[in-house]
Amino acid sequence: MAKPNRAQHSNAVATAWQFTEQVPHGRELGMQVVSVDQGQVCMRLTPQSWMFAQEDTKEICTSVLYSLADSAGGLAVFAGALELMPIATLDLRMDYLRPASGDQALLAVATCRHLTVEVAFIHCDILSEGNRELLATANATFMRNTQGQQFHAGGQGKERA
Amino acid sequence: MSTTGDSAQHISGAAENGNECADWQALLERIPYARHLGLEVQRGDAGVLVHLPCREALIGNFMLPALHGGVLGALIELTARVAAQSQDTETRCPRILDSHINYLRSAKARSTFARADIIRQGRRTSLVQVTCWQGEKSKPIASGQVQLLLPTMAAQQEDRHGH
Repeated sequence: MAKPNRAQHSNAVATAWQFTEQVPHGRELGMQVVSVDQGQVCMRLTPQSWMFAQEDTKEICTSVLYSLADSAGGLAVFAGALELMPIATLDLRMDYLRPASGDQALLAVATCRHLTVEVAFIHCDILSEGNRELLATANATFMRNTQGQQFHAGGQGKERA
Repeated sequence: MSTTGDSAQHISGAAENGNECADWQALLERIPYARHLGLEVQRGDAGVLVHLPCREALIGNFMLPALHGGVLGALIELTARVAAQSQDTETRCPRILDSHINYLRSAKARSTFARADIIRQGRRTSLVQVTCWQGEKSKPIASGQVQLLLPTMAAQQEDRHGH
């Protein structure tokens, strides 16, 4: 078997990173990619008052954590697979362990646990920045090689011709 | 044991639909993130619906384009929360414990609707099933189950005075 082409792989991750940062919903929530390393991804989100779950508390709505986990999970598929291909979330399960305070940024750490030709299994932890306690955990399954979707971010599209 | 018979119980009959719409809308409007998403309550044939209008900032894939999975997550979680709260005699504010969402079809960049079925409304917890669709109701694009904790008075006070 040929050795993986390192340049090509880092290119794939860079394109997925760029793609993630261009997603309109991610931009609206202010999601940033902090790092991508060996199948593991870290993303960050700065809370704003319109993300709260209630008027009278500064607790971030769980659904914001959900969006962050979904985005970080998607990028973790590429970090694990090291190649670009269309993916789709099959299912995602969140456990909300503690209320998320709006005073601190959220960090999501997503790991690609297992990869098959068709499926990627992802785990994601959500924490408050500067705090080791888990706020939420997520487990997601992504389908790989889904049809009807093409990668064009950064001019990387392979199905243009 | 509490069972709901042969199928999950529908939240409302057509008769009390009007009041229920107003109740749901009032509960949704108290949630800043629901207001931000523009969620609105509508009267459906079989009960109350939550409508998520489409706008560009909700897109998760701009090449298809498709809604972000997290936007459907929010529609499902917030619909479940309002459904559970509206069913609670004390209208306690529920805390979402967990949610599990299955994505069934691709979510296009268009209006999305959600319907809630209460699977079990207990004294302390509520389990709500939410189904989302776009064009045809018979072709759901996502469905999810959300477990919610209805806080007891003691726990609520502890929350306020604790951290």
